[in-house]
Amino acid sequence: MAFTMRAVKVPPNSASLEEARHRVFDFFRQACRSIPSVMEIYNLGDVVTPSQLRSSIAKEIRKNQSVTNPKVIDMLLFKGLEELNNITEHAKQRHHIIGQYVVGQKGLVQDIDKNPGSSDFLKKFYTSNYI
Amino acid sequence: MAAAALRPAILRHIRLCPSPPAAAAAYSHPHAMARWLVRPMSSHDAHLTRDEVVDRLVDVLKSHPRSTPRRRRLLLLVGWWQVNPEAHFEKDLGLDSLDTVEVVMAIEEEFKLEIPDQEANKIDSLPLAVEYVANHPMAA
Repeated sequence: MAFTMRAVKVPPNSASLEEARHRVFDFFRQACRSIPSVMEIYNLGDVVTPSQLRSSIAKEIRKNQSVTNPKVIDMLLFKGLEELNNITEHAKQRHHIIGQYVVGQKGLVQDIDKNPGSSDFLKKFYTSNYI
Repeated sequence: MAAAALRPAILRHIRLCPSPPAAAAAYSHPHAMARWLVRPMSSHDAHLTRDEVVDRLVDVLKSHPRSTPRRRRLLLLVGWWQVNPEAHFEKDLGLDSLDTVEVVMAIEEEFKLEIPDQEANKIDSLPLAVEYVANHPMAA
Protein backbone atom coordinates (compact mmCIF):
# COMPACT_ATOMS: atom_id res chain seq x y z
CA MET A 1 0.00 0.00 0.00
CA ALA A 2 1.98 2.95 -1.26
CA PHE A 3 -0.40 5.54 0.16
CA THR A 4 0.98 5.09 3.65
CA MET A 5 4.40 6.30 2.52
CA ARG A 6 3.13 9.74 3.36
CA ALA A 7 2.73 8.95 7.04
CA VAL A 8 6.30 7.83 7.80
CA LYS A 9 6.89 10.31 10.60
CA VAL A 10 6.98 7.85 13.47
CA PRO A 11 6.65 9.39 16.93
CA PRO A 12 9.38 8.43 19.42
CA ASN A 13 8.95 5.25 21.42
CA SER A 14 6.79 5.37 24.50
CA ALA A 15 8.82 5.63 27.65
CA SER A 16 6.66 3.37 29.78
CA LEU A 17 3.78 0.94 29.69
CA GLU A 18 1.48 3.70 30.96
CA GLU A 19 2.26 5.91 27.99
CA ALA A 20 1.82 3.01 25.61
CA ARG A 21 -1.56 2.35 27.21
CA HIS A 22 -2.59 5.95 26.64
CA ARG A 23 -1.52 5.70 23.03
CA VAL A 24 -3.63 2.57 22.61
CA PHE A 25 -6.68 4.36 23.97
CA ASP A 26 -6.01 7.38 21.76
CA PHE A 27 -5.77 5.09 18.75
CA PHE A 28 -9.02 3.38 19.73
CA ARG A 29 -10.78 6.73 20.04
CA GLN A 30 -9.43 7.83 16.68
CA ALA A 31 -10.66 4.62 15.07
CA CYS A 32 -14.12 4.95 16.66
CA ARG A 33 -14.42 8.55 15.49
CA SER A 34 -13.73 7.49 11.91
CA ILE A 35 -16.47 4.83 11.97
CA PRO A 36 -19.24 7.08 10.57
CA SER A 37 -17.15 8.01 7.55
CA VAL A 38 -16.15 4.37 7.00
CA MET A 39 -19.79 3.32 7.04
CA GLU A 40 -20.52 6.06 4.54
CA ILE A 41 -17.67 5.11 2.19
CA TYR A 42 -18.34 1.38 2.06
CA ASN A 43 -22.14 1.48 2.35
CA LEU A 44 -22.20 -0.66 5.45
CA GLY A 45 -25.44 0.82 6.74
CA ASP A 46 -27.46 -2.31 5.97
CA VAL A 47 -24.89 -4.77 7.17
CA VAL A 48 -23.61 -3.56 10.49
CA THR A 49 -24.19 -0.95 13.19
CA PRO A 50 -21.50 1.42 14.54
CA SER A 51 -21.55 -0.29 17.91
CA GLN A 52 -20.77 -3.65 16.29
CA LEU A 53 -17.81 -2.09 14.49
CA ARG A 54 -16.64 -0.63 17.79
CA SER A 55 -16.78 -4.08 19.32
CA SER A 56 -14.79 -5.54 16.41
CA ILE A 57 -12.09 -2.92 16.84
CA ALA A 58 -11.98 -3.58 20.58
CA LYS A 59 -11.68 -7.30 19.89
CA GLU A 60 -8.72 -6.74 17.59
CA ILE A 61 -7.02 -4.61 20.20
CA ARG A 62 -7.77 -7.17 22.88
CA LYS A 63 -6.03 -9.92 20.89
CA ASN A 64 -2.72 -8.32 21.86
CA GLN A 65 -3.71 -7.67 25.43
CA SER A 66 -0.90 -9.64 26.99
CA VAL A 67 1.97 -7.67 25.43
CA THR A 68 4.08 -5.86 28.02
CA ASN A 69 6.98 -4.45 25.99
CA PRO A 70 6.24 -0.78 25.10
CA LYS A 71 8.22 -1.03 21.87
CA VAL A 72 6.17 -3.97 20.69
CA ILE A 73 3.02 -2.07 21.56
CA ASP A 74 4.28 0.89 19.53
CA MET A 75 4.92 -1.38 16.58
CA LEU A 76 1.44 -2.87 16.83
CA LEU A 77 -0.03 0.62 17.06
CA PHE A 78 1.88 1.62 13.93
CA LYS A 79 0.41 -1.33 12.07
CA GLY A 80 -3.04 -0.54 13.42
CA LEU A 81 -2.73 3.06 12.31
CA GLU A 82 -1.62 1.91 8.88
CA GLU A 83 -4.69 -0.32 8.63
CA LEU A 84 -6.94 2.53 9.76
CA ASN A 85 -5.43 4.87 7.17
CA ASN A 86 -5.93 2.28 4.47
CA ILE A 87 -9.56 1.87 5.38
CA THR A 88 -10.40 5.55 5.67
CA GLU A 89 -8.74 6.52 2.40
CA HIS A 90 -10.73 3.84 0.54
CA ALA A 91 -7.70 1.76 -0.32
CA LYS A 92 -9.68 -1.33 0.68
CA GLN A 93 -12.98 -2.57 -0.65
CA ARG A 94 -16.30 -3.48 0.84
CA HIS A 95 -15.72 -7.21 0.88
CA HIS A 96 -12.44 -6.71 2.76
CA ILE A 97 -14.19 -4.75 5.48
CA ILE A 98 -17.10 -7.17 5.70
CA GLY A 99 -14.82 -10.20 5.78
CA GLN A 100 -12.44 -8.82 8.37
CA TYR A 101 -14.56 -6.71 10.69
CA VAL A 102 -18.22 -7.64 10.40
CA VAL A 103 -19.12 -10.59 12.56
CA GLY A 104 -21.69 -12.80 10.89
CA GLN A 105 -23.71 -15.66 12.31
CA LYS A 106 -20.78 -18.05 12.40
CA GLY A 107 -18.19 -15.44 13.33
CA LEU A 108 -15.84 -13.49 11.10
CA VAL A 109 -15.75 -14.63 7.48
CA GLN A 110 -11.99 -14.90 7.63
CA ASP A 111 -12.23 -17.28 10.59
CA ILE A 112 -14.71 -19.66 9.03
CA ASP A 113 -13.14 -22.96 8.07
CA LYS A 114 -13.90 -23.40 4.39
CA ASN A 115 -12.51 -26.91 4.09
CA PRO A 116 -13.47 -28.65 7.30
CA GLY A 117 -12.74 -32.18 6.08
CA SER A 118 -9.22 -31.53 4.83
CA SER A 119 -6.10 -32.84 6.53
CA ASP A 120 -3.61 -30.85 8.59
CA PHE A 121 -1.13 -30.99 5.73
CA LEU A 122 -3.59 -29.34 3.36
CA LYS A 123 -4.47 -26.65 5.89
CA LYS A 124 -0.79 -25.75 6.31
CA PHE A 125 -0.37 -25.85 2.56
CA TYR A 126 -3.18 -23.37 2.07
CA THR A 127 -1.93 -20.93 4.68
CA SER A 128 1.69 -20.60 3.62
CA ASN A 129 4.63 -21.88 1.62
CA TYR A 130 6.69 -22.51 4.69
CA ILE A 131 5.80 -24.45 7.77
CA MET B 1 -52.20 71.96 18.47
CA ALA B 2 -55.34 70.22 19.47
CA ALA B 3 -54.33 67.35 17.23
CA ALA B 4 -51.01 67.03 19.10
CA ALA B 5 -52.86 66.65 22.39
CA LEU B 6 -55.46 64.42 20.81
CA ARG B 7 -52.92 62.00 19.38
CA PRO B 8 -51.59 60.56 22.69
CA ALA B 9 -55.13 60.31 23.99
CA ILE B 10 -56.11 58.25 20.97
CA LEU B 11 -52.96 56.14 21.22
CA ARG B 12 -53.63 55.45 24.88
CA HIS B 13 -56.93 53.93 23.90
CA ILE B 14 -55.62 51.62 21.22
CA ARG B 15 -52.39 50.65 22.97
CA LEU B 16 -51.72 46.92 22.95
CA CYS B 17 -50.57 44.95 25.97
CA PRO B 18 -46.72 44.46 25.72
CA SER B 19 -46.60 40.78 26.70
CA PRO B 20 -49.67 38.74 25.92
CA PRO B 21 -50.83 36.91 29.03
CA ALA B 22 -51.36 33.70 27.08
CA ALA B 23 -47.64 33.38 26.31
CA ALA B 24 -46.62 33.91 29.92
CA ALA B 25 -49.15 31.36 31.06
CA ALA B 26 -47.95 28.82 28.53
CA TYR B 27 -44.31 29.27 29.53
CA SER B 28 -44.94 28.84 33.20
CA HIS B 29 -47.04 25.74 32.56
CA PRO B 30 -45.43 22.73 34.24
CA HIS B 31 -46.00 20.46 31.26
CA ALA B 32 -42.99 20.45 28.92
CA MET B 33 -45.05 20.45 25.73
CA ALA B 34 -46.93 23.64 26.65
CA ARG B 35 -44.26 25.79 25.05
CA TRP B 36 -45.31 24.31 21.71
CA LEU B 37 -48.40 26.47 21.97
CA VAL B 38 -46.34 29.63 21.83
CA ARG B 39 -42.98 28.95 20.14
CA PRO B 40 -43.16 25.56 18.44
CA MET B 41 -39.81 25.66 16.63
CA SER B 42 -37.63 27.16 19.34
CA SER B 43 -34.80 25.08 20.76
CA HIS B 44 -34.00 27.66 23.41
CA ASP B 45 -35.44 25.67 26.30
CA ALA B 46 -34.82 22.26 24.79
CA HIS B 47 -32.58 20.83 27.48
CA LEU B 48 -32.43 17.18 28.36
CA THR B 49 -33.97 16.27 31.67
CA ARG B 50 -31.88 14.29 34.08
CA ASP B 51 -34.22 11.30 33.97
CA GLU B 52 -34.00 11.14 30.20
CA VAL B 53 -30.20 11.28 30.40
CA VAL B 54 -30.11 8.49 32.97
CA ASP B 55 -32.47 6.31 30.92
CA ARG B 56 -30.49 6.71 27.74
CA LEU B 57 -27.20 6.05 29.54
CA VAL B 58 -28.61 2.88 31.08
CA ASP B 59 -29.67 1.76 27.61
CA VAL B 60 -26.16 2.40 26.32
CA LEU B 61 -24.70 0.33 29.14
CA LYS B 62 -27.16 -2.51 28.68
CA SER B 63 -26.52 -2.74 24.97
CA HIS B 64 -22.79 -3.13 25.50
CA PRO B 65 -22.13 -6.81 24.76
CA ARG B 66 -19.61 -7.30 27.55
CA SER B 67 -21.37 -5.59 30.42
CA THR B 68 -22.91 -7.77 33.09
CA PRO B 69 -24.12 -6.75 36.52
CA ARG B 70 -22.09 -8.18 39.37
CA ARG B 71 -25.08 -9.07 41.49
CA ARG B 72 -27.34 -11.08 39.23
CA ARG B 73 -30.98 -11.06 40.09
CA LEU B 74 -33.88 -13.34 39.29
CA LEU B 75 -34.89 -10.90 36.59
CA LEU B 76 -31.81 -11.93 34.65
CA LEU B 77 -33.58 -15.17 33.83
CA VAL B 78 -36.29 -13.16 32.14
CA GLY B 79 -33.57 -11.35 30.19
CA TRP B 80 -33.98 -8.04 31.97
CA TRP B 81 -31.70 -6.58 34.57
CA GLN B 82 -31.48 -3.42 36.54
CA VAL B 83 -28.45 -1.20 36.48
CA ASN B 84 -27.55 0.20 39.87
CA PRO B 85 -27.63 4.01 39.59
CA GLU B 86 -24.19 4.15 41.24
CA ALA B 87 -22.74 1.63 38.83
CA HIS B 88 -18.99 1.82 38.35
CA PHE B 89 -18.07 0.52 34.92
CA GLU B 90 -15.16 -1.62 36.01
CA LYS B 91 -16.19 -2.68 39.48
CA ASP B 92 -19.93 -3.22 39.11
CA LEU B 93 -20.36 -4.08 35.46
CA GLY B 94 -17.29 -6.24 34.91
CA LEU B 95 -15.80 -4.12 32.15
CA ASP B 96 -12.10 -3.45 31.64
CA SER B 97 -10.43 -0.17 30.75
CA LEU B 98 -10.81 -0.66 26.99
CA ASP B 99 -14.54 -1.33 27.52
CA THR B 100 -14.79 1.88 29.53
CA VAL B 101 -13.34 3.83 26.60
CA GLU B 102 -15.79 2.03 24.29
CA VAL B 103 -18.71 2.96 26.56
CA VAL B 104 -17.59 6.61 26.51
CA MET B 105 -17.48 6.48 22.71
CA ALA B 106 -20.98 5.00 22.71
CA ILE B 107 -22.12 7.90 24.92
CA GLU B 108 -20.55 10.31 22.41
CA GLU B 109 -22.51 8.68 19.63
CA GLU B 110 -25.78 8.59 21.58
CA PHE B 111 -25.77 12.23 22.64
CA LYS B 112 -23.98 13.58 19.55
CA LEU B 113 -21.15 14.99 21.64
CA GLU B 114 -17.41 15.20 21.24
CA ILE B 115 -15.77 14.57 24.60
CA PRO B 116 -12.11 15.70 24.89
CA ASP B 117 -9.59 13.12 26.08
CA GLN B 118 -8.99 14.67 29.49
CA GLU B 119 -12.66 14.59 30.37
CA ALA B 120 -13.14 11.18 28.84
CA ASN B 121 -10.44 9.68 31.06
CA LYS B 122 -12.34 10.83 34.14
CA ILE B 123 -15.67 9.28 33.21
CA ASP B 124 -15.46 6.08 35.17
CA SER B 125 -18.94 5.39 36.44
CA LEU B 126 -22.60 6.06 35.73
CA PRO B 127 -23.08 9.07 38.07
CA LEU B 128 -20.05 10.82 36.55
CA ALA B 129 -21.38 10.18 33.06
CA VAL B 130 -24.80 11.57 34.05
CA GLU B 131 -23.11 14.67 35.50
CA TYR B 132 -21.11 15.27 32.38
CA VAL B 133 -23.93 14.80 29.90
CA ALA B 134 -26.47 16.74 31.94
CA ASN B 135 -24.11 19.71 32.22
CA HIS B 136 -23.05 19.66 28.59
CA PRO B 137 -24.78 22.43 26.60
CA MET B 138 -24.65 20.54 23.31
CA ALA B 139 -26.15 17.25 24.45
CA ALA B 140 -28.94 16.18 22.11
